[in-house]
Order: sequence, then structure tokens, then C-alpha cells
Amino acid sequence: MSIQKTKAEEAISTQFVAVAGQLPGIDAVARSRKHAIAAFNKDGLPHRRIEAWKYTDLRVAMKSAFEPAVNLGISNHTDWQAIAEVLGPFADLDVARVVLVDGVYVPELSAVEILGGDVQIMPLAAALSDECFADMHVRPPRIEQDHAIAELNTAFMTDGAAVQISQSTSKPLHIINVARGTDERMIATRNVISVGDDVEATIIESFVALGSAATQTNALTHIAVGERSHVHHIKVQEEAMASTHLSTWIVEVSGEANYRGFQFSTGAALSRNQISVSYGGEGGKVDISGAYLLADRQHCDTTLVVEHPVPNCESRELFKAVLDDEARGVFQGKVIVRAEAQKTDGKQMAQALMLSEACEFDSKPELEIYADDVVCGHGATCAEIDPDLVFYCRSRGIPEDQARGLIIQSFIAEAIAKVEDPAIADVLSARANSWLERDRT
Amino acid sequence: MLEIKNLQVRLEDEDKTILSGLTLTVPKGEVHAIMGPNGAGKSTLAYVLAGRAGYQVTDGEVLWNGENILDMEPEERAAAGVFLAFQYPMEIPGVAGLTFLRTATNAVRKGRGQSELTTPEFMRVVKQKAADLKIDIAMLKRPVNVGFSGGEKKRSEILQMAMLEPTLCVLDETDSGLDIDALRVVSDGVNALRSPDRAMLVITHYQRLLNHIVPDKVHVLAGGRIQATGGKELALELEKSGYASYTGEAA
Repeated sequence: MSIQKTKAEEAISTQFVAVAGQLPGIDAVARSRKHAIAAFNKDGLPHRRIEAWKYTDLRVAMKSAFEPAVNLGISNHTDWQAIAEVLGPFADLDVARVVLVDGVYVPELSAVEILGGDVQIMPLAAALSDECFADMHVRPPRIEQDHAIAELNTAFMTDGAAVQISQSTSKPLHIINVARGTDERMIATRNVISVGDDVEATIIESFVALGSAATQTNALTHIAVGERSHVHHIKVQEEAMASTHLSTWIVEVSGEANYRGFQFSTGAALSRNQISVSYGGEGGKVDISGAYLLADRQHCDTTLVVEHPVPNCESRELFKAVLDDEARGVFQGKVIVRAEAQKTDGKQMAQALMLSEACEFDSKPELEIYADDVVCGHGATCAEIDPDLVFYCRSRGIPEDQARGLIIQSFIAEAIAKVEDPAIADVLSARANSWLERDRT
Repeated sequence: MLEIKNLQVRLEDEDKTILSGLTLTVPKGEVHAIMGPNGAGKSTLAYVLAGRAGYQVTDGEVLWNGENILDMEPEERAAAGVFLAFQYPMEIPGVAGLTFLRTATNAVRKGRGQSELTTPEFMRVVKQKAADLKIDIAMLKRPVNVGFSGGEKKRSEILQMAMLEPTLCVLDETDSGLDIDALRVVSDGVNALRSPDRAMLVITHYQRLLNHIVPDKVHVLAGGRIQATGGKELALELEKSGYASYTGEAA
């Protein structure tokens, strides 16, 4: 059955034709981009009749397609001070940083030398000229919950960071995605991160906006973690309020590696966080957690698939949503345990704190288990602020608003506690508190 | 002075009267015990004094130092000096005990028109008071009451009480869930707070707490009102004969 194309779908196809010649990469990359847009043109934007998009009908939500941010010549127009201001306490973290402005790697704003020679960082646009890189990384592995968003990323990606970490790093790498927010733009970026064996590393991705104009962000990070390595990966999404944020993480975990992902979202009108994790060897441990704080009519969807194809791996997920006004939080978590993956240990929890009558939380855990000797569990809770707890705080002299704030903090803190680096956890708590303060004014 | 006059209270959600004309006076500097059978209205009295929602006062008044506290919000009562040590202290995951104590202490100080304590000032006070109650400061770095034993929770309540420096202390079954040693530590903490400026209302089922916190008066609460008042020997008598005669009277 063919469906009439929407205005946004039409515009995306047209825009690709217009900008294709200006997108970076060798011929092989250009061919992949064409394949990707052809695949997109065939299926269009995902909609609610696709099970993985049941709660987020992108075809309906995306009324128009913004002009892609390509060749805007912007590197000289932005200074660090303005970016630091919107980053707030994140700007004070002791990190190496890569700054992308409207999807373009800006060397003048970036500082990666402190990581030393064992960490190689290259703008993705440059890496796309490398035949070997292009061959390996342009088309990301297909993930179960989505094709369209990843295809669009391949078609339109302008830049990003190609990172190779072969020794442990003393400082986190902070990839800062800045939207100037002066015009409505579509920004597509790709990070390809390869972490060697026996390495400890922390990667933070931030999404912020200088202005209030909406962006349509499509950000894909493909990360491979080597054997016995320990990687922390944090994403902070604080985009302009009218934005659409489409994010995909594809995570490949080798034997005995420990991968800890965390996603914190307060921005964008609509955000979709897709996370796909697979294990390449026994003894892998994965923890994917996050918190979303939403108000007005914000909509945030986290859809993750964790696949256990090998035995003796562990997966943990804890997502917490604080929902006010008419906000809607979605959590879909699927754990697949293949027949060979005996002794898998998987636990998942999604919790929402409802601050209003009109907010909504949709939680859909799915366990698909083919092995017979596993421990897997999931849970979901949905609650209002406990009035007894408010009374307990008030009986200690704490005014009602402050008491409610404390209880919301308490709720989020359990998720933030998943972030092992205390400096980063502190900044996340501070950001959560800023959200609460704003909420109360 | 605490003056409770003809207090009548019913539950908001169901048509059930809990207190039916309770009258009681506790002068400053005195400790009064309230004993009574299950369902007598002891916890209701404690909650109504602290201002918990869900109770409707249909008649009577509660004056603390001449002020009608029933018109006040719970936090205003705290600032006015009222403190309720909960029978079941609440857990607050993710909020460190110290953070909670400092927030509460400064909120109450603000409510009383006092300056807020700086972090070093607060730490100095809290360390001293925690040591008095044999509370390890490490325990206060953990989330409020989460994973605490019964004894730890009650000590944590008494520490809050010590920090907030209330003038009217209401202790709701503070002895429940305590072993002998914990009972002694908690009682010592309460006794240390006895002062000529402070009135205390100790609610309990059992006489044994009153061996440690020796009351000036004992009241028997049954059927929603005070049925008898006496000295500490009344508690011993109740321990022997039970509440049957009072509940009979109430019915």
C-alpha cells in the first residue's frame, strides 16, 4: 500500500537533491548517501503503525522539514563564552572538548590535545575522505527499532567526531553540539568512537542552543568498546524548546567490557532516544540509565533494545521521568536473550513521577527470551508525589514548594547515582535543580 | 503551655469520629505521657498537632503559647516550635541526611527570623549533636532513613528534634521497634532535651519507655478523650490491669 507523502517527507527528498553535492566524503560515501535517501523515500517517516514508534508518531509530529545546515561558513561567528554560558556548570568540567556548531566541527573552539597521542580525534567530514573509514563506518549497523532515522543520518550527516581511544584517558572527552538557533535548521551529525582493549574512558555528548529557533537534530553515535574496557557515555539534551531531537546510539560491547550509558533530557518539544546494545563476548556488563524532566507539551521517547547473543552478560536499565503539565514520557525497553546466551542477567526499571493530572507516561518493557537459564526482570511505576512525604518534610519546617522540590530531586537522584564520576553527577544534579527552579517560577 | 480544649476530630474521607472532646494541658518544662489502647486516637492526636491533612477538626482548639496552631501550615507550626517524632519515619532516597537536616534547620531558622547557619556552623552543631546520640556522621551521608534499622530511624528522628530545637515535642510511639540498648540511647537523647522552656508529649503503648523518660503526668486516652490522669504510678497500674476498665467506660 502506498501512502501519500507528507510535506516534510517531500521536503526532505527535495533538500537532499539540493545539498547532496555539498556534503562531505568520497564517491563511496556519496553513493551510500543516495542509497540511504532512497531507502528513506521508500518508507517515509516512521509512524504509529510501526510497533517501535507506537507512542511517537513522527510522521504526524513533523509538520515540516527544515533546511539542512550545510556550508553555512560559521566557524568564526561563535565564541566560547556564549557556548559556556548555555552549558552552565558543564563548561567548568575539566575535559577535552570537541565543539560542533550547527553540525560543523570547529577546531578553534575545540581542545583535544590534552588527551595525548593515544587518543586520535578527527572531524568526521575529514574521515569521510578516507576510503577505509568510509567503507567501515558510513552505513551503521541496522538496529531493530528504527531504519528511517539512521538512514536520514547517513544521507545528511555533515560532520562529527571520529575518535579512536587506545589508552586510558585521564579526562573525559566532551562533544558539544551547539545549535546557533538563529534560523530553523536540520542538523545531522555522526560520531564514530572506537575504544581499544583495557581502556578506561568517559565521553559526554551535549546538545545546547544559543538562540531559540528550533532545530531538527539527527545525531548518531556508533561506539565500539574493546575487551575489558570501562566506558562511561553520557548524553545531555538541552535543545531549544521547539526542537525535534532524534538520537541514535549504537553500542557494541566486547567481552568483559563494562559500558555505562546515561541520558539526561530536558530540552526539545519532541525527542526520541534510540539505543541499541549488543554484546560481542562473554562477561560484558552494560548499564543504560537516564532521566527526563519534561513540562508543557514536551514529548520524550526512549526506545532501547539490548541484545544478548552470548552467555554470561549483564544488563541494567533505570529510567526516570518527571512529568509536568501535558508532558508525555515514553519508555520502551526490549531485552532479547538468544538461545546461546545462558546465564544472562538482565534487569530493567522505568519510573515516572507525575506532577500534573494531564501528563502521560507510556512504558512498554519487552523480554524476548530464548535461553532457559537466565535471570531477567522488569518493572515500571507511575506515581504522584507522596503526600505523606511532603508532610514529613513540612513538619520539619520545609515549605511545601521546597518539600516537593526535594522529593523530585530525591526521585531523580537514584538515576543520577548511576553516573560514577562524581563531578559529572554533581553537574547533572545541578541541571536537574535548575529545571526545578525554573519549574517553580 | 500546650492547651488542648474540647478537641473533636473526624477523618475527612470517612464519617468516623476519632477524637471526641479531648482536653489536656501540658505546661512548659513538663513531660506528659499519653497511654491508651490501639485505636484510641493517640496517633491522630499527634498528627493533628503537627498539621497532617486528612483530619477535620469539628470543634475545639489547640493553643501553643496562646497561639491557635490549628490555623497554621505544618511548616509554620515547626517554626512556632512544634515537632513530631514520627512512629514510622519516612525514607527519602537520594537525599543525604545532612542535606535534609541542613535544609530543615535553615528553613526553621528562617521561619523564626533567625539567620541561616553557614555550612561550617551547621557541621559543627550537627557533629556534636550526632555524637551525643551515638550517630556516626557517615550515617548522615546516606539518604534519609533509607536502609536504616528501627533504632537508627528513631535516633535520626531525635537528631532532627535536637537540630530544630522545638519547644513542643510530640513523640509518637518512639519506643516501637527499639531494642533495650536503642531505647536507652533514644531516651537519653530525649532527656537531654528536657528543659524549663520545653513541653513534651510522649505517646506510648507500654510503660517501659516511661522508666527511661520519666513523665510528670500520665494521661489515659481511650474512646477519643482523656479518661484518667495521674502521676507516673498510673503507668505501672495500667501495665498490671490493662485498659479494659477505660475502654468499657468509653463504650
